[in-house]
Amino acid sequence: MTETLWIEKYRPKKLDEIIDQEEVVSRLKDFVKERSLPHLLFAGPPGTGKTTAALCLARELYGEHWRDNILELNASDERGIDVIRKRIKDYARTMPVGEVPFKMIILDEADNMTSDAQQALRRTMELYSRSTRFCLIANYVSKIIEPIQSRCAVFRFQPIPREAVLERLRFIAKCENVKITEDGLNAIWEESQGDLRKAINILQAASALGEVVTEDVVYKVLGKITPSEVRDLVRLALEGDFLGAREKLRILLYSYGLSGLDILKSIYREIMSPRVFSQIPSHMQAELIELIGETNFRIVEGGDDEIQLCALLAKIALKAKTSG
Amino acid sequence: MSVPWVEKYRPARIQDVAGNDEAKKAFVAWLNKWLAGRSEKKAALLYGPPGTGKTSLVHAAARQYDLELLEANASDVRNSAALERRIWRALTETSLFGKRAKIILLDEVDGINPREDAGGLAMILKFIDSTRYPLVLTANDPWDPKLRVLRDKCLLIRFKPLGIRVITSVLANICKREGIICDYQVLRAIAEKSKGDLRAAINDLQAIAFGKKKITVEDLEVLGYRAKQADMFEIVRSVLAAKSPEQARAVLSMPSLDYEMLMQWLSENIPYQYAPSLRAIADAYDALALADIFLRRAKRTNEWSLLSYALNLMTVGVASARDKPKFKFVKYHFPQKLRLLSQTRKYREARKRVAMAIARKCHVSSQVVIREILPFLFVIYEADADLAKEILKSLDISFKTFETVAEFYAR
Repeated sequence: MTETLWIEKYRPKKLDEIIDQEEVVSRLKDFVKERSLPHLLFAGPPGTGKTTAALCLARELYGEHWRDNILELNASDERGIDVIRKRIKDYARTMPVGEVPFKMIILDEADNMTSDAQQALRRTMELYSRSTRFCLIANYVSKIIEPIQSRCAVFRFQPIPREAVLERLRFIAKCENVKITEDGLNAIWEESQGDLRKAINILQAASALGEVVTEDVVYKVLGKITPSEVRDLVRLALEGDFLGAREKLRILLYSYGLSGLDILKSIYREIMSPRVFSQIPSHMQAELIELIGETNFRIVEGGDDEIQLCALLAKIALKAKTSG
Repeated sequence: MSVPWVEKYRPARIQDVAGNDEAKKAFVAWLNKWLAGRSEKKAALLYGPPGTGKTSLVHAAARQYDLELLEANASDVRNSAALERRIWRALTETSLFGKRAKIILLDEVDGINPREDAGGLAMILKFIDSTRYPLVLTANDPWDPKLRVLRDKCLLIRFKPLGIRVITSVLANICKREGIICDYQVLRAIAEKSKGDLRAAINDLQAIAFGKKKITVEDLEVLGYRAKQADMFEIVRSVLAAKSPEQARAVLSMPSLDYEMLMQWLSENIPYQYAPSLRAIADAYDALALADIFLRRAKRTNEWSLLSYALNLMTVGVASARDKPKFKFVKYHFPQKLRLLSQTRKYREARKRVAMAIARKCHVSSQVVIREILPFLFVIYEADADLAKEILKSLDISFKTFETVAEFYAR
């Protein structure tokens, strides 16, 4: 068998193979038994099995015809609601293949749509509700407008608990003939928490690095995937070197091409890490968190990445200098 | 500079006025009727964007019909009793110079603010009612509701922006008469930049040709580029070095200020001008960041009254930073963002292609691929290129494209 990404190779094919999320799975199995389906809304953090559950549901519902009966869309990658509506329209016109009288439309990252776009989507859902069922996938239920929520059966996916994650990692390691130590597993858990996709990606990269996946190997991978510029940037800002910090920021923005929000989250993680946070004077700690939160809000509102992050760095630099 | 070419080459005859044939025809017909004593409308309102030949047409007509021309700016008339009397006499008395008739031109009637200056409007209406000679008004934008009464009393003649070909041929003609050798591309570029404004085009040509007998594309590029950049340096300096709020705000009165570009320039240069004061840098950036937020809100909600907050924050707000160091002359920089973005464009496009391909296979968005999958693939590639090759094959992704992306990432 050729090598591929383990997140695909070990993606469950049947609802029963999904780890944890028992309540969700048992209700989905009822739908399969009845061969009827309401519109669905799967909500929960990344890597908890939302998309996998939708795909498994489709497989069990449609059997061999499952590919013909689903349309997979990702709201983040489609160019606007009009394109989405057109694709839905074109797809909904054709008849379902097989015995189930409706087709399934899986719309991933639906919470990345503006509320106007969601309103338009709502009308589309109504228009084709006889021949199609929607399965919307989102990180946050609250970012889906009420009228859509109320038309859907909402399923909440929880972060996968530690033991379940470790068990899955051990299983994969065994299948792949990879040796992994307990502290290696622990290190993966520390980074990924209940995000199984991330955990498996770390495991695969770590196994490419060495014979045995130990704590050190895991940290080596993590060091490589987190650009060193984040660490440097935080250090320079806290030393009051604004221009130095800005240069690192620009590498992250324009060379790595990271989004402002991703960079901000990395900055936040770095500042909150015990190593850095313990060095920050206590009267500054709350202020820093507030500053980062405010910047987050502004970037979400549509602010310019560079200007908003530079404003943050300038304030951090000022606070660090005037308090020290 | 000697005589402005826009004056020197003002058309002598109506047929020499460039473009706008329909407007010319309508104007000549109106004037002929007037002179024959049977015009329905006593005044004509020539309207259209600047530099489309409104004033030139009146000048040419006056010459060709041998009319005495009396010309005044509408808002000047309002502010000067003497000028008003002069116009009044001209409209109602026979010509001093024994010519057979007169023509009166009141420029820029839309410059009169009908709200603040109702008297100005009433005065023009009185002129129209009493005139014994053709009265011509001009305006850029005659559609203010308060100007309706005026529109009703005038024959409206519309002037459109001039076509690139028309402008180019006028410029070529001027070059010929000035003995200047000039590439066609240069003239065309000037014409394109003018956006249908012949006056601007002629002024540009004169500026570029100054002291030269031959102009090439290089001259144009160098001059145009320098002029633009020098402007931005000046604008940034007047904001960052402003001694009063008025000084900082003055840049807002510049026509065609590109405020989004100004924000990038300010963002680049705040730390250079305000170092070493971290408080000044932080304050200035804070104001700029708020300006940015207000600009987004204005755009998103289409509520353009919010623009004013953005503009004042990016000028007065930035300049109000505390603890500004004493002004020193520092070298400003071109925004690095623009340079870096263009340098990394190819890489980002290639990465997007790879990410989209993986996204479809892995049921995630391309952003998730970039954030959560590609970094791990790069680690695998670095440790074991053959393994990475095999994984990519399973995903139907060209190894070559991936390599260029990975190598960039490694830098």
